[in-house]
Amino acid sequence: MGNWPGVTVEKKEGKLKKHSDVTITDLPGIYSLSPYTLEEVVARNYLVGERPDAILNIIDGTNLERNLYLTTQLIELGIPVVAAINMMDIVRKNGDKINTDELSRQLGCKIVEISALKSDGILQAAEAAIKAAESGKPVPQHTFSGAVEHAIAHIEEAAVHNLPLEQQRWYAVKIFERDEKILAQLNLSETTLEHIEQDILAAEKELDDDAESIITNERYVYIASLMKACYKKKSVGKLTTSDKIDKIVTNRILALPIFAFAMFLVYYISIGSIGDWTVGFMNDTLFGEWIVPWVASSLDAIGCADWLNGLIADGIIGGVGAVLGFVPQMMILFLLLSILEDCGYMSRVAFIMDRIFRKFGLSGKSFIPMLVASGCGVPGIMASRTIEQDRDRKMTIMTTGFIPCGAKMPIVAFIAGALFGGSAWVATAAYFIGVGAVIVSGIILKKTKAFAGDPAPFVMELPSYHAPVASNIFRATWERGWSFIKRAGTVILAASIIIWVLNSLSFEGGFHYIGEGDSKSILNVIGEWIAVVFAPLGFGNWQAAVATILGLVAKEEVVGVFGSLAGMENMLDLVEMGDLTSQQQAGLLFFGGSKLAGFSFMIFNLLCAPCFAAMGAIKREMNNAKWTWFAIGYMCVFAYAISLIVYHIGLLFGGVFSAWTVIAFILLAALIYLLVRKNKHTA
Amino acid sequence: MFDFIVQNLATIIVFTILLVIVAAIIINMIRNKKLGKSSCSCGCKACPMSDTCHSKK
Repeated sequence: MGNWPGVTVEKKEGKLKKHSDVTITDLPGIYSLSPYTLEEVVARNYLVGERPDAILNIIDGTNLERNLYLTTQLIELGIPVVAAINMMDIVRKNGDKINTDELSRQLGCKIVEISALKSDGILQAAEAAIKAAESGKPVPQHTFSGAVEHAIAHIEEAAVHNLPLEQQRWYAVKIFERDEKILAQLNLSETTLEHIEQDILAAEKELDDDAESIITNERYVYIASLMKACYKKKSVGKLTTSDKIDKIVTNRILALPIFAFAMFLVYYISIGSIGDWTVGFMNDTLFGEWIVPWVASSLDAIGCADWLNGLIADGIIGGVGAVLGFVPQMMILFLLLSILEDCGYMSRVAFIMDRIFRKFGLSGKSFIPMLVASGCGVPGIMASRTIEQDRDRKMTIMTTGFIPCGAKMPIVAFIAGALFGGSAWVATAAYFIGVGAVIVSGIILKKTKAFAGDPAPFVMELPSYHAPVASNIFRATWERGWSFIKRAGTVILAASIIIWVLNSLSFEGGFHYIGEGDSKSILNVIGEWIAVVFAPLGFGNWQAAVATILGLVAKEEVVGVFGSLAGMENMLDLVEMGDLTSQQQAGLLFFGGSKLAGFSFMIFNLLCAPCFAAMGAIKREMNNAKWTWFAIGYMCVFAYAISLIVYHIGLLFGGVFSAWTVIAFILLAALIYLLVRKNKHTA
Repeated sequence: MFDFIVQNLATIIVFTILLVIVAAIIINMIRNKKLGKSSCSCGCKACPMSDTCHSKK
């Protein structure tokens, strides 16, 4: 879970430790019970519909005023409330003071001081909630101004008198606000509605505002009085340490270079320096010198048939090992990304990207799914449902897959290691190519009728910076890393066997096992048919074509295919490779050592259709076959066009000109036209 | 037949073990699919949208 609001949009349940009879339901973070966002709808439906025994309201102590708005609404629900003021360690560190006794008295609910980060007061808060649930007494409520109370009293009498007493006030306030969902739920008669409307109109006339604003204003007036009585800020107007850091990190000019540098550093450590060393050890020493020779000689020694030896040593261990070889790199990458998330930096990135995305018609809300997708595309695509506007949500679903997920990173690391000497620039470029593809697609699609319109407003609270908590980052790293290992042991293993079987059998001269023969395998023949499609992109060999297609099963399988085929081809016998690493040998074998072909291959595999699991997520979220195929088709066409442009314009720098160069320039011109053309659909 | 088995005993045993492992993987994948477990192997617990797939009705 990321350390920024809007990531959790569903309730989670768990048992309280040492209290097996107590179920705790964690609801999404919200600021009010208005049904405007998915998080608010989820939380409100649960609180109103299922009515828990008690509410433990976690309040950010550093943003007390903003958080108390929800508290005033929760108290009206008629459910016992315990307010836990979180981040008290920071409140104390800032020298601020909260008079919790007075706040408790004025709000009419128990208040507990906690620090979730330091695990202070958590148990006391839970126990206070249990006590409140046992007492079962709804807490007292504050009152609105006379005109509003008058209208609410009328509404209670006319519309909700048949509801339990403790629930009547909340419903009455919501009816006063003309909350459409509540009005639909209560299904009031026309006569009652007309009668209520007269009361609301009378209050609106007297207070010269609309009903919803009246309630909002009066709540803030009440909260202001609470703050005055209970809260003392030591340094009014002074900047906190977080504010000072933000002045640099979110600076209009510096923000993007700092983000680019942070991502470069992440990839330099995980893919380039330490990561490159670990992958060298894993592929060349662990698998190349130890495991594969040991397994092969052991199977040989016990008298296993050559074909079975080949299947296990070259096919399975070659394929699975090629993927597992990236585990240390991935672990380091996930660890560094988790640190950035946990310390609060990634939420700043969403804020920075909102500023950039907004210029191109996308909201910062679209960046949250993209942050989630850097781990795995499936939850990333699913997280897009927090976006209310249908057009923006569809566009986010279509573009989230462009961000390199954990499964795509082995492809990036493989190309970097095989053809670019493990350069961190390749991985950094891959990330920003993904972000660039999102922006370019945003601009192009926003100029079409289906996606035109202003982006949704994006409001998020930036958490204060803090030192990452070791348990949080190790848990996040392990969860992501373990899923990577699990896929290698299941999907990749099964796919490696299929690859080996198809590459060991041939139809040439009758169906037979190839063995030491030189007839074309089934996989080779199929690969050559597909390779025609990819030839203009620079990787028209059958191995790369097969790897790209099998990447649809799971993106890690791209390197799995190379691993299996490299083992079977017995690379060292094929080419004179001298002192090259296994990755460099693969680069020479599958891409002829061409950096441009390898880079084009990487771009296509990053931007084209995602794996089947992610396609399933697209189908679920789009809930429409036409849109699903449009999304997948768009990604493939976009990936093809970008790879073709990069490859052929790149070749031009080497003095190679062909008909494809002309096509690449036509595509580039079309892309530029789509980017700069006038938007006919602006309001 | 018996000679064939004796001569290829190692191959038969290793191949059988391999078949069992692959069958276990496939059965596990099918079972997970039927149970609605994560299609992406990302672990549903960590997914912010897991309730979509695992809502308790």
